[in-house]
Amino acid sequence: MNGREELVLRCAQRRREKIGTLSDEGFAELCLAVRENPSAFVDSPEQASFATLVGALDAFHRAGADDDLLDDEEFRAARERRLQTLSAACDQALSQDGGCLDARLVQVLAADLDPDDRLDALLEIEAKADAANELTLGSTGDAWDDVFTRPRLRLWDAIARTCLAGGRYHMALDVSRGLMAASPKDQVGGRLTAALALARLEDEEGFNELDARLAGRENSWLNLGRTILLYKLGRMNAARRALRGYGELCEGAAYALLRPTFVEIYLPDRPEVPAGGFEEATFAVHEAEPIIADVPDFIAWADGFPWFHAAGEAYAEEHGYDW
Amino acid sequence: MAFDPRREDYQRLALRYALSLPKGNPVAAAKAFTDFGRRFARDRDTLPQSDADRAFHLVAVAAEVIDYQLPFSSEERADALINRGRDLLDEAISLDPKCHDAIRMRASRVSPSFDAQFSFLHEGADEVLASCQEARDAVPNDGDDERIALGRDIALRPYRRWMAALAEEALICGRNRSCIEAGERLLEQDPSDQADVRFTLALAYAKLEDEASLDALAKRYGTIIPARPADDAWMGIARLALAHKSHDMGQTRQLLERLIAAYPGCASALITQTELPDGVFARLAVPPYSEDELILAVSEATVLLQEGDDKSGRGVLGSWVARTTAKLYPEALAEAQEFSAPYYQQDEKGPQDGDAS
Repeated sequence: MNGREELVLRCAQRRREKIGTLSDEGFAELCLAVRENPSAFVDSPEQASFATLVGALDAFHRAGADDDLLDDEEFRAARERRLQTLSAACDQALSQDGGCLDARLVQVLAADLDPDDRLDALLEIEAKADAANELTLGSTGDAWDDVFTRPRLRLWDAIARTCLAGGRYHMALDVSRGLMAASPKDQVGGRLTAALALARLEDEEGFNELDARLAGRENSWLNLGRTILLYKLGRMNAARRALRGYGELCEGAAYALLRPTFVEIYLPDRPEVPAGGFEEATFAVHEAEPIIADVPDFIAWADGFPWFHAAGEAYAEEHGYDW
Repeated sequence: MAFDPRREDYQRLALRYALSLPKGNPVAAAKAFTDFGRRFARDRDTLPQSDADRAFHLVAVAAEVIDYQLPFSSEERADALINRGRDLLDEAISLDPKCHDAIRMRASRVSPSFDAQFSFLHEGADEVLASCQEARDAVPNDGDDERIALGRDIALRPYRRWMAALAEEALICGRNRSCIEAGERLLEQDPSDQADVRFTLALAYAKLEDEASLDALAKRYGTIIPARPADDAWMGIARLALAHKSHDMGQTRQLLERLIAAYPGCASALITQTELPDGVFARLAVPPYSEDELILAVSEATVLLQEGDDKSGRGVLGSWVARTTAKLYPEALAEAQEFSAPYYQQDEKGPQDGDAS
């Protein structure tokens, strides 16, 4: 979530509504003005609450910038404290505006619950949000275009990923598909969760359909999902080619798969990262971990290809990582 | 009905012995059969038998050693048992190069990975079927329908065990469609389901969240011999997993209670969730609805229980089942805790430090 930018859009949007009619050019200028000094445009509990959350998320990430220097125990304690601080900030945001969906979402996620409890908590938020206002596609046919419905999409995305982490693959798929229907642009990435769920369910038809819909927009989730799917179906030659595709798409992809690292909870959604970079592969592997664990010999199989192993090792050496 | 290696060994020799009996003299035959029991127990080498029979006998002994003694042996004895099992299987194969049970069991001991064993079984399936069918067709016709039927049935059992092992291995490998393919193929070949492959199928359908196919499987219980309703622990866990996966928690709880009711007094197995090595001959033969059966089913259902990103390390469903069972049946929790406490905590003296003590 680009919180700063969304705060700007929110303030500009509410100001536009106050002004009444405003041309698109006028709105663009208004956005520029808000971007200069957002706090001057925060004039309602709704925006104040969102601003509190955005500030808290920034602070959370800033405070964790030096975590690399800590040992495991210190890191655990520091992270715990940061998550508590964030949760307290969510309380504050919610005291400003109880309807701040993102604050509720972040608070649940920051509690770092197991999938069953997290799903219960998220569905509770969803049930209340549903009563408050119905999700519409808006005038553009894509719910993402209305900055005020984005929290709802993020909530669905979190539900889908929680289902995936909890072994509920059909449910993950259903929610992801709902997400893609509400927002065909799919900024939040329902298709990524869907790809992994389809791979786990060994649903080749469904996977190909999704693949066709994305029409060549390759990414690590899709490539990793395809590799796992073909592997599970016993099509080992095709799986090998898919693995090559996965390995070549992103920098350090082999390293990411063979040496998975800790990934912080998404707060509240999957961080935006440059396409084709190491982080993309890291996130895809992180989300696929429960599915990979379900295929016990998968990693050894991938590691068994000298070119894949060498690619991982070369990346580690180049960046000074342990191998 | 699970496979009982001892019984099958007996049946093989009894069939062959029957062929050697004088025809048309029931009194002499009855007397001879009394003689058979004694000779089988004490002096089996004096009984008529083929190399295949001798090989199967070694398989039966190896099954006893590996499946029934090894899991309960002390560490010091384990190596000796492992070596003995291997020697028995090697000898069986040298006696009968088509002893598919021995070949399969030896492979399961030496395959470097689940995948390697899966591939081995997958690639061998057609050949094993052809070989077993050949053996079936070669069963001599001595005019006794019952004996012919049993002889033919025994000839096909190695194939059934092969396919059941293939389905099980595929499930462990996370290749659920392959598991279903192998299991369905076997069920079609043997609708009486001697191998109880439907248990493995139930787990695979749950893995793929395919409720319609699970329902269809339950309907096919009608052809099972001996008859058994679809309320076994495998089916119970599969249904419970489906309810959990669709987040119908009330239903999941009900299904858990139903499962526990089908295995009265055995709930602690759902808390300890012990993982056992799979039987290398076949799934261990245990009485229906016994605690052992529940333990086996829970162990095989590891693929469902341990899935997901759960901090306890038991898996999302696994920890839900353990937690909920403990809450519903506190006496089962007490039993499970006693059972799973390390040996030194069961001892009042507590742990001892170092070698000197």
